[in-house]
Amino acid sequence: MKGPSLLSDELLRHLMAVGQVDVVVGLPTLNHAATVGGVVRAAHAAFAAGLKRERTVLLNVDGGSTDGTADAVREASLVAAETLVAAQPLRTVHGISAPYHGLPGKGAALRTLFAAAELLDARAFVLLDPDVTSVTPEWVGGLARPVLREGFDYVAPVFSRAPGEGPLVTQLARPLVRAAYGRRVLEPLASELGCSVRYAAHCLTQDVWSAPFVNYGIDVWLTTTALAGGFRCAQAALGPRRQAPRAQAPSLPELLRQVVGALFACLERHQAHWVPREGAEAVETRGEPGRAEAADPPDPAPLAEAFRAGVRDLAPVLGGILEPATLEGVKAAARDEVPAFPDALWVATVVDFAAAFHGGRIHRDHLLGSLVPLYLGRVAWHLAATTGADPAGAEEAREGLCLEFERAKPELVRRWNAAGGR
Amino acid sequence: MADLILETLAEAWTKYLGTIRAFLPRVLATVSLVLAGWLLGLLLGFVTRKVLGWVRFDAAAERTGAAELLRRAELPPAHRLAGATVFWVVFLGFVLSGIDALGFRGVQGLMADFTRFVPRLVVAFVVLVVGLLVSNFAWRATLIAAVNAKLAPARVVAGTVRLLLVVLTVTMTLEQIGVARAVVLTAFAIAFGSVMLAIAIAVGVGASGLARRLLEEHLASRDAKGPEGLSHL
Repeated sequence: MKGPSLLSDELLRHLMAVGQVDVVVGLPTLNHAATVGGVVRAAHAAFAAGLKRERTVLLNVDGGSTDGTADAVREASLVAAETLVAAQPLRTVHGISAPYHGLPGKGAALRTLFAAAELLDARAFVLLDPDVTSVTPEWVGGLARPVLREGFDYVAPVFSRAPGEGPLVTQLARPLVRAAYGRRVLEPLASELGCSVRYAAHCLTQDVWSAPFVNYGIDVWLTTTALAGGFRCAQAALGPRRQAPRAQAPSLPELLRQVVGALFACLERHQAHWVPREGAEAVETRGEPGRAEAADPPDPAPLAEAFRAGVRDLAPVLGGILEPATLEGVKAAARDEVPAFPDALWVATVVDFAAAFHGGRIHRDHLLGSLVPLYLGRVAWHLAATTGADPAGAEEAREGLCLEFERAKPELVRRWNAAGGR
Repeated sequence: MADLILETLAEAWTKYLGTIRAFLPRVLATVSLVLAGWLLGLLLGFVTRKVLGWVRFDAAAERTGAAELLRRAELPPAHRLAGATVFWVVFLGFVLSGIDALGFRGVQGLMADFTRFVPRLVVAFVVLVVGLLVSNFAWRATLIAAVNAKLAPARVVAGTVRLLLVVLTVTMTLEQIGVARAVVLTAFAIAFGSVMLAIAIAVGVGASGLARRLLEEHLASRDAKGPEGLSHL
């Protein structure tokens, strides 16, 4: 077993005191005092209700918070214990809060959590995001049950999304992962998951933990590793997802650099798996997707303006990334009041960027930075197209984009192979 | 009298023929050196192109932005340019040796001067190439950052950065090969100092409000939804 060497002595003592458990709920934190309490309470409520026959433990690993996150976790656990004494499950419920080894970052935290789950010989592991304010006890049960009762190895969440919500997921990550890996996973960037210890142990053996993208792009790696590793995958409908605003949230260029950089890096790591695959299979989904929360659609005008200015100023850089026909299409779109950035043009753009990333034609940070204005143009078009659309219409538009990506798979493979890699 | 003339003419012709006899082998040596230099230059240029082709030198040039610079200057691809440079350095060395072999007083020591000059030329060439690459990299990084920060004069900002770096590079190159060293350094110091002073006055006095506003907007926009009011995840 590789796990114990990753764990501090303190954490190891806690884990040995706990003994064997059925479900480990992992909660990596770093200065999340404002929001972590709700997540902890939801987890304890799940232990006392949906998972009351299972032996459970909530494991919080902290990256060195200075805002009292560990205290917030402990306080929330006490409240939960006090209020839920009557409904105490059959077996002891534990809560552990401990620091972890290594540099602060989600990758190191997750590695510790996986090692702990393996050490405890858990039947299911659930990962929660301490930033999310809409976590309910059903989330924990929804992510754990397919693993506990149906033998799935990886359970991805499904969130109810309003039209225009989460464009980085719906316009880029979801269709690209679906077309490349051949599985219709709706939330490849989700920071929540349920999984078996078999899958966790597989992740621990991968030579990825020192890769630069792990600390900011671990979520997409977890999803694509499950798909590429041939694990049994399912999805759990969890309802809407709300995230608390953070003062240190990355800017959009930084976010795109992290997410798209990690996604392209995963394509490189898994190319032996995805290049020969054809089509896209459905992934079994448990639970009913709830209704998306209504939200005022953002104004696409500032995005369109940023797109126009970006294409005008970055034309010489884009000329080294995009194929001539794609560049011409992008320039033509930039001449419109509302950029006409249809599915085919967007897919061609993403394919060109993926091939340029793989071929090392330009410094990767510059490449990903150049994608920002084009992404904004696509989002502006998407928002304009889906404003006022009913959920079914928005879903139809998202499905149309996914199908366009699937049709472009042979071209992606051809360009990817031609680029060769650096 | 006639005998004297004939004797003088014969002596002159004898001397001339003697000079020709002594000079012809030198000409032949020069021609052979030039020919050998041409052949050796071609061979080494060919080998350089092949080796650089095998190690995918052009791909590296693309990554670093050197290829883009060459295209803009309407120069051949990097591996061919390197091959041509090798050819001309070798060929020029042999040509100068050939001229040296002719034994003309005015050009004697050319090869020795050239040999002393070559290392400085190589260093200057490296400084020029690296400087242009750095300036191109900085231009691209500045342009992308400025565009993504929604700075209206993104191209002006990036162009200014590149211009300053190119001027700095050219100054260092000229200083390395010793061309009008004092003039170049003085001109550069005056020009660079003037530009920096102008920027300091413009930003610090003329546009301090704008700088503050830009910083405030930038810092205020760092929330989860971003300035567009949109949650991308």
